[in-house]
Amino acid sequence: MPKDALHSPETLLDVRNLSVDFRTPRGRVKALRDISFPIRKNRIVGIVGESGSGKSTVLWALLGLLAKNADVMGGEVRFGDRDLLQASEAQLRATRGEEISVVFQDPMTSQIPVLTYGRQMLDILYRRPNVSAAEKRRLAVEMLGKVGIPDPDKRIDQYPHHFSGGMRQRAGIAMALLTGPQLLLADEPTTALDVTMEAQIIHLLQDLQKELDATVVVVSHNLGLIAELCDDVVVMYAGEVIEAGEVREIFHNAQHPYTRALLECDPARIDDVSRKLPVIPGDIPDLTKPRSGCIYAPRCQRALPVCHETLPPDVARGETSLARCHLLDGLHHDPSWPPPLDVMTVGQEGSAGTKPARAKHDAALLEVSELNVQFETIGPLRARLKGLSQRHVDAVLDVGLSVAPGETVGLVGESGSGKTTLGRCVLNLVPSQAGSVRFEGKEIRNMPEARFKPLRRDMAMMFQDPVGSLSPRKSVRALITEPFQIHDITGVDLDAEAERLAEMVRLPKHFLSRYPHELSGGQARRVGVARALALNPKLIIADEPTAGLDVSVQGEILNLMADLQAEHGLGYLIITHNLPVVRHIADRLAIMYLGRIVEEGRTDEVFARPVHPYTRALVEGVPQPDPDRRRVHVSISGEVPSLLNRPKGCDFAGRCPFAQDRCRAEKPPHVTMADGRRHACHFPLG
Amino acid sequence: MLYYLTKRLGLSAVVIGLVVLVLFSLLHFIPGDPATIALGPRATEEAIARYAEKMHLNEPVWRQFLIYIGNALTGDLGLDVFSDRPVTAIIMERICFTLALVGAGMGWAMLLGIPLGCLAAVKPNSWLDRVTGVLSVGTIAVPSFLVSIWALLIFAVQLRWLPAIGAGEPGQIGDQLMHLILPAFAIGLSWVGYLARMVRASMLEVMGENYIRSARAFGLQPRRVIFGYALRVAILPTITLIGMGFGGMISSTVFAEIIFARPGLGKLIFDAVMARNFPIVQGAVLVATGLYILVVLFSDILIAWFDPRVRESL
Repeated sequence: MPKDALHSPETLLDVRNLSVDFRTPRGRVKALRDISFPIRKNRIVGIVGESGSGKSTVLWALLGLLAKNADVMGGEVRFGDRDLLQASEAQLRATRGEEISVVFQDPMTSQIPVLTYGRQMLDILYRRPNVSAAEKRRLAVEMLGKVGIPDPDKRIDQYPHHFSGGMRQRAGIAMALLTGPQLLLADEPTTALDVTMEAQIIHLLQDLQKELDATVVVVSHNLGLIAELCDDVVVMYAGEVIEAGEVREIFHNAQHPYTRALLECDPARIDDVSRKLPVIPGDIPDLTKPRSGCIYAPRCQRALPVCHETLPPDVARGETSLARCHLLDGLHHDPSWPPPLDVMTVGQEGSAGTKPARAKHDAALLEVSELNVQFETIGPLRARLKGLSQRHVDAVLDVGLSVAPGETVGLVGESGSGKTTLGRCVLNLVPSQAGSVRFEGKEIRNMPEARFKPLRRDMAMMFQDPVGSLSPRKSVRALITEPFQIHDITGVDLDAEAERLAEMVRLPKHFLSRYPHELSGGQARRVGVARALALNPKLIIADEPTAGLDVSVQGEILNLMADLQAEHGLGYLIITHNLPVVRHIADRLAIMYLGRIVEEGRTDEVFARPVHPYTRALVEGVPQPDPDRRRVHVSISGEVPSLLNRPKGCDFAGRCPFAQDRCRAEKPPHVTMADGRRHACHFPLG
Repeated sequence: MLYYLTKRLGLSAVVIGLVVLVLFSLLHFIPGDPATIALGPRATEEAIARYAEKMHLNEPVWRQFLIYIGNALTGDLGLDVFSDRPVTAIIMERICFTLALVGAGMGWAMLLGIPLGCLAAVKPNSWLDRVTGVLSVGTIAVPSFLVSIWALLIFAVQLRWLPAIGAGEPGQIGDQLMHLILPAFAIGLSWVGYLARMVRASMLEVMGENYIRSARAFGLQPRRVIFGYALRVAILPTITLIGMGFGGMISSTVFAEIIFARPGLGKLIFDAVMARNFPIVQGAVLVATGLYILVVLFSDILIAWFDPRVRESL
């Protein structure tokens, strides 16, 4: 960063040469190494990076709330005329919440469940002895109203569990802004939220920042969010700031090879729906080892010998931009770098083969029709005592779906849409009340487990949380051969099988003796894939296969899944909320809302021409990693209603911008259009 | 809430019914004729027959059982075999001493154990934490009757600071309190350790939660964060433990009351068992069970009061 920018009066907070170590059993992890960047007044600054980049560590260092095993090794955090790293605990406490405040990542766990919002907000105002309790309450109610919480004077007395996810995050923002801080830090503010909610929170933050003249720092891995929300961007990799600049510079004229690669890997940015996604090969370096040269060199496509030996210079460009790379300046300056935006700088992993045309199978592998799953909400005795006739909610309502061999079907919906319940029901893990589920023509719905068990070899599940779904006490070898033991398959050489499967998912052999906690997210996901594939299944149900994976890794997993499909003719049912991902891998999409499929059709058609207003809202709801394509308005407001009070007419009527009286009175039936698409809308979009 | 209470009280009634059944059957499996035992070996045939008639001993067993239940419901637990006084009255005389002892024992254990556990959790691996850890294990490992005997020997016999036996002069609160100190110390000591360990473990877990980090990020004072936020959540499992521990404590009072010769429920049961005074044993055990069930119910309601999520799901 140019030196004079650091001292300019418009700088609110200035991080200078900050280094932080974590003491761990593996040794000292150098989590932040000599990072510097200014935060300019009245700007929204995005800190972007993948897991392990140190972006959250920066945020906690600013607050003086680093974990106990962290050591600040040097540097300064100038805030006004103070250095926050030298401040006493009492001084820091006076700063936190008053001058610097935080919006947290997961509103479900970051608000104490046993205190009302009123109590929590009053506590935050404890430093104002001159303000009466009634006045504090009025301030809190006013702030809750400002962030869009209806009936704030009533809802202030409610507990966090009374609020939905989106409402909680709004309340979290209200708590952070209550004291009128100069600097607002937001840690992945939308990561725990649904797509339609994410858009609303982004706009709320933008509006409030303008209204309150606040300075905001947003930490996120989501390039779309950063592009849509931020003015300035700081890109971090493995504990270093490798590039910084204004948002358009970063997204349209990225200088560092890592920034370029990161942008290219984002599926939301790739319009060309080819089967292969670009990936950054390799893993984040081991931060316990001493570094020499450029931290990104081992993964960089353009690395020169010098990159491995000498620390690259920070090359400034203009007033506010800089990037740390040998290619940009000095002896190794390469005028042809960076190449124009349409040239890809990272390659696709493996062969760039397209998906082979599928043989037209008439027989579907999986066929679900008119499936209904109900959950009991209240016991029979209590229902009678309370005079309720309806004791159930419909988690899945009249769902029809089919998956052919070699086909990928994406099942898309927000949380509470019933998509996971549907997946579990297909696997006979949840009993259903009506309809049929056929696997290879055979009715399997509610089949007793003893008869269903042999079928489990043909249908495998990939679970959502890659690390959490693996037993921490088993080695990778034991984990991927476990299916053989579950199904009492003897006469196979388990060691040979383990090696075969590891090779299939491109997991190096020495990983077989490791344990789950020693794996990265991508490696753990590979183990999950290997487990699912162990018994040569025909159908794989994958629940959020890329959730929790970094952009640079998720391409690897998706490419691997595509390769395995081409090789073995697998059918995939992919359950996800991530539209950019399914767009690349799914042949057909089914969009679920409140337990019903509202639209189903070929992926390209659904994206090009959504028929149901909800589908359109989802498609438009994904923030684009391009600051020039910011949305000016939020396409839908409100939240998914509770299953307990399902609307009488169309489930989406309450949020639909096109809803008419008929939509509110009558549930739209499923209609099949001439081109084979199905939808459930009275007034389909043209 | 009303539904929940009804359900819990109904279940409690079933448990008490089962206890009565077990107690009742035990009596019938014990060899010997109750009337002979009650009246002694030199009673005449006639007296035994009269007694059996009066006590419904000639009725079939199930009728005897129903009669007992019916009487118990009206507060009549039978008559003391020796003094012919109503069992209910005898128990009522003694129960206050036991309640005072259990209350005092658990009370001081809570007052010391909970803050100790908190402080240990706030500064893990500090000297306070280590001392607490060692003391907890130590106090848990020592049985309460040993503590009773040692406390008696040291503080009452050697140092003569505190009275050794009895519960104090009736009506003199000060004297009664002095008599309460040693037994309460003895039965509460291991609970200091239990509570400190329990609170420390759940506090450590809660202190790592995101909402504690939030509270600190909003600049709240450490005192407020620890006691207003963390302890409020961490205390929940401890309340259950205290409720359950009440039962264990009632059994520790048996030793304490015998050693300190306190007139309490425990001593009453002990003496009655030695003398084969079955109506007293039956009645006292029944009352102790009822007490225990009430305390557990109370602790569950207390948890609901502390945790709005539980409160609303009831």
